[in-house]
Amino acid sequence: MRIQNNWTKRALGIMAISALTVGLAACSSASDEQNVPGGGAESTGEVALVQGIRSLSNSYHANWAEGGDLFGASIGQDVVVLSDEGDSQKQLSLVKGLAAKGQVFALNIDPNTSSDTEAIVRAVTEAGGYVVTQWNKPADLNPWDVSDNWVAHISFDGTGSGTEVSQALFDDMGGEGGIIAIQGILDNVPAKQRFAGLQAALEANPGIELLDDQTANWSRTEALAVTQTLLAKHGDKVKGVWAANDEMALGALEALKAAGLAGKIPVIGFDAVPQALEEIQSGENRYVATVSTDPWWQGAAGLSLAYQAASGAIDVSKLTHEQRAFYAQQTVVTTENVTDFLAAPSAEAIQVDIDDPFARIVSAIN
Amino acid sequence: MNDVVLEVRNLRKEFRGVVALDDISFEVRRHEVVGLIGENGAGKSTLLKILSGVYQPDGGEILRMGQTVSFKTAGDSAAAGIGMVHQEQSLVTSVSVAENIFLGEEGRGVRGGVFRWGELRRMAQAQLDKIKSPILPKAKVESLTFAERQMVELAKALSVEERAENEPVIVLDEPTSVLEGDELEVLFEQIERLRKFASIIFVSHRLDEVLRISDRVYVFKDGQQVAVRNRNEVDTDELHRLMVGRESTSEFYHEGAQLSVEGNPVLLEVSGLSKHKAFEDVSFALRAGEVVGIAGVLGSGREELSRVLFGAEPFSSGTIELDGRGLPLRSPVEAVKVGIGYIPAERRIEGVAQGMSVQENIFLADPSTVSRGPFLDARKAAAEADRWVKGLKIKTPNRQTDVANLSGGNQQKVVLAKWLSSPRLRVLILDHPTRGLDVGAKEDVYRFIRELCARGIGVVLLADTLEETIALSHTILVMRDGVVQNRFDAHPGNKPKPVDLVEGMV
Amino acid sequence: MSRSDLVSSAPGVDLRKIQRLFGTGGPLVALVVLVAFFSLASSTFFTLGNGSSLLTQLSILLVVAIGLTFVIILGSLDLSIEGVMASSSLVFVLLAANDRNDSDLGFLAVIAGVLTGSLFGLLNGVLHVHLKIPSFMVTLGTGAIGIGIATVLFGGRAPRLMDDSLRDLGFGSLGGIPKLAIIAVIVLTIALLVQRFTRVGRYGYAIGGDEQVMKLSGVNINRYKVLSFVLTGTASGIAGVMAALQLGVGDVTIGGGYLFTAITAVVLGGTALVGGIGGVGRTLVGAAIITVLANGLILIGVNPYVQVAVQGLVIVLAVAVTGWSLRKRVRAIK
Repeated sequence: MRIQNNWTKRALGIMAISALTVGLAACSSASDEQNVPGGGAESTGEVALVQGIRSLSNSYHANWAEGGDLFGASIGQDVVVLSDEGDSQKQLSLVKGLAAKGQVFALNIDPNTSSDTEAIVRAVTEAGGYVVTQWNKPADLNPWDVSDNWVAHISFDGTGSGTEVSQALFDDMGGEGGIIAIQGILDNVPAKQRFAGLQAALEANPGIELLDDQTANWSRTEALAVTQTLLAKHGDKVKGVWAANDEMALGALEALKAAGLAGKIPVIGFDAVPQALEEIQSGENRYVATVSTDPWWQGAAGLSLAYQAASGAIDVSKLTHEQRAFYAQQTVVTTENVTDFLAAPSAEAIQVDIDDPFARIVSAIN
Repeated sequence: MNDVVLEVRNLRKEFRGVVALDDISFEVRRHEVVGLIGENGAGKSTLLKILSGVYQPDGGEILRMGQTVSFKTAGDSAAAGIGMVHQEQSLVTSVSVAENIFLGEEGRGVRGGVFRWGELRRMAQAQLDKIKSPILPKAKVESLTFAERQMVELAKALSVEERAENEPVIVLDEPTSVLEGDELEVLFEQIERLRKFASIIFVSHRLDEVLRISDRVYVFKDGQQVAVRNRNEVDTDELHRLMVGRESTSEFYHEGAQLSVEGNPVLLEVSGLSKHKAFEDVSFALRAGEVVGIAGVLGSGREELSRVLFGAEPFSSGTIELDGRGLPLRSPVEAVKVGIGYIPAERRIEGVAQGMSVQENIFLADPSTVSRGPFLDARKAAAEADRWVKGLKIKTPNRQTDVANLSGGNQQKVVLAKWLSSPRLRVLILDHPTRGLDVGAKEDVYRFIRELCARGIGVVLLADTLEETIALSHTILVMRDGVVQNRFDAHPGNKPKPVDLVEGMV
Repeated sequence: MSRSDLVSSAPGVDLRKIQRLFGTGGPLVALVVLVAFFSLASSTFFTLGNGSSLLTQLSILLVVAIGLTFVIILGSLDLSIEGVMASSSLVFVLLAANDRNDSDLGFLAVIAGVLTGSLFGLLNGVLHVHLKIPSFMVTLGTGAIGIGIATVLFGGRAPRLMDDSLRDLGFGSLGGIPKLAIIAVIVLTIALLVQRFTRVGRYGYAIGGDEQVMKLSGVNINRYKVLSFVLTGTASGIAGVMAALQLGVGDVTIGGGYLFTAITAVVLGGTALVGGIGGVGRTLVGAAIITVLANGLILIGVNPYVQVAVQGLVIVLAVAVTGWSLRKRVRAIK
């Protein structure tokens, strides 16, 4: 038993030292953390402004929150940010917590999953608040079926931007040559939309040949392996790489680097993750384009819409079905406009979106 | 000079209030073979586990060479020169013989955590040479027969010889239960050789063997030591009486209950049955209520024959007919369906489903009697299970107990109950049904075999001893090298002698 | 069967050695068949270019699966692999030259990343052994902890590895052989030696074979169990670092998919989940089958929609073939 104890002690010692190492690494990453905006809801206006997002630690939602702050600043109010850290239960209880404060509120929220949306909008309706939801909702549940408190639902269709970003790739290739396509999870809706966008672009560009399409399940690692294999299979016929998201595009880029082809073969992706934006900006590896939903716009326009309904500036019952459930425009990001997506827009630039939250409607959902 | 190398004084052990050992004392003298007998539950296993450091006693003391010792682990016991050959095989089948012999105590075979295979194998070879075993140190244990594994166990126990300062004490726990013929002789030779430099505790249920090899015999009953006898002042009948607590008679085998089967219909007819490399041209007929005993040494082909009859192995030519209809017998499932049951030698592996309760095991093969449609009739199953537990005297806390917690003998009874509970049962193949059982449990099994016969069930028996074969069978086939050498009619009053059988066996 | 057949070894020692290392025929045959088939069906399969891409794709999976083999032989399981890979990739990248902070520890960062894995292994082992929690429960939990730590370190975006000499290990090659594959071969060699010649390796088999017997023999089982988990964690740590070298980032999802694939590789190779049987050499065969299959199906142009189904089918077939040869061994003697 004595031996055993010594041994355990030694083990614990090693663990303690290593915990320090991990801590050290954690500290060095802290510089990237954003400051949490907003103070209390007890502000001057009568409508409290609230954003519901997953977490400030990912840049997409941090930018979304920043957009909301820009809106708050435009009317001189603070914005409360609710982060659920990906926990549906937590998200719902945070929303219910708003109701308990007894103040009218405007909520702009990204529900965790489609099935969470109904509970959230019903809780808001009961509390007499106003909510704009984004991305996820059940297909057969629409705002006008529930109440005027669910002002609108905003989502994005990858088909149109898929065509556009594909065109950017083809243009970079000079309009001819073979490409390989790396798809997301095959039965996933955005994956289908984006691939449909590619096919539309292919029809318009007879000089481009789709050599192969394979799935890498949205994963950087898998995309690297798939790209390697496809490069071995098609050799120098490959003149361009199309990936259904930036993660996979970046994985493909690593495969190109390993094959000494980085900078020679153009790559595109979707989602505008920071690393992809940096690649586009540097231009070194011929990362041609990505697609952004513009998170600042999502934060500012969504919150503005909810606020306008709460303050009575717009009458929800008079809005069209298209205005209450719509696909919003996405932007193809290339070297020309990449700086717009590396930092928050100016107050003036975003005022347009605040004034008219419907400006980017592409089409009605359904 | 004190001649006592190991002494146990007033040893006591309880398990949750149940007394397993009650004031046990015994001693082992230099170069002596001490026999230790007792029924299941008499306390032998507990005593041995205390001697090997697995259990700690609640009272009393152990003295080694006159010094009080306490064994906290198996290592302590080995270091004191006590080597165990366990009843339940204590080898790791997934590794080699050499590793098993020195498991945890590799000595020169491992330097700085690194195995030196050449050295380890040489060391293992030295141990195997002591018992003149042809087993290779690098063979994996799983490739060995059970008898060979027993030899490895012995070699392993002998390795304490080099480790301890004192002359070793070797404990053999039921070492003969899986050995046959030659192997048994090798073991006895070894014991004779060992006693020149070691003392031996020999635990066995075979009273004749205990008497043959031991200088003195201790008899245990219900956790107490009830008698000590020198070899020359006792016989097997007396030992049996001391152990079981009642008179031993020829009734042991229930020979009086053996009924004539003349005129009974033939159940199972085997003609010209052969299996490549195992047995050839075996023919016999089994009548309702008849016991056909098959005698033969290891390698005679009788094990393979029994497995073929149960559909567990394919045969190459010949026919097997039940009630005059040919059986393809491609799998045990088909065998069970037509009413052929099988009770294997190694119940731990093939007979009981450990992890399932006593009740579940009983109705495993044929749940039809306790089912209503596809569903189990829980109340009926419980009542039936209780009836079997009581009828077979299965020692279990209740019918829901995991069979894994039962002793070997009681597990065997559960296997018996499993087949006996099936109303479809026509023919039962018993492969060493009493192996490892104590006298009392054996008697129960014999009684049940007689009852089966009275119900018109035919039995194919591969018995543990020749005496058993002779006493229980109506007909005896003697096999050697896969061929039936002799047939004996063994109806009551017409029994052959063991020596008659041996003639055809070797 | 005669006695001597059972006891003594058959002639043809070389064949037996191969079998001992790479398993009993089945999986090896499956691999050879797959390679032969793809070589015939695709002109690119047996080319230098594809060979090197196969090696790269095999490397990380192999290292993970080798590690996993050690605990599976115990009859345990380590489900924390993906979390461990995530944590160690981030610890490594954040301590090496990166675009997040000023750290530039070079090779020391590699060691830190690997040790992160060892540490997780130690934690897994200690919790499993001393709290007597089943290993799959413990490692499910520690895997989540790994993902959690990685998420904190991740801080919203993947930190990039900026150390060029380290990056070169990720995609460079030496004499046509990818450096990642060389790392994998070194890991394989060490693992083979550990399994064959050390107590932790040998006792692993015995513990997986029969834990009770080991206890009766007075062996400190807990110690060797913990050490086995440390080996697995270390291998996961190495794999995390390798993945970061390859992708040029530390990422929370860097180990995504490796757990399932690695378990498949180990079992496919012929290491039994019940413990006691198998070995890292066999895992090499299992991992190679999976890699060749994924690569070959793309090369011969199987529709991506049916690829997963085809992979599943081939794996089931391979396991059936393996099971066939194991059948006799698993069944009781007599």
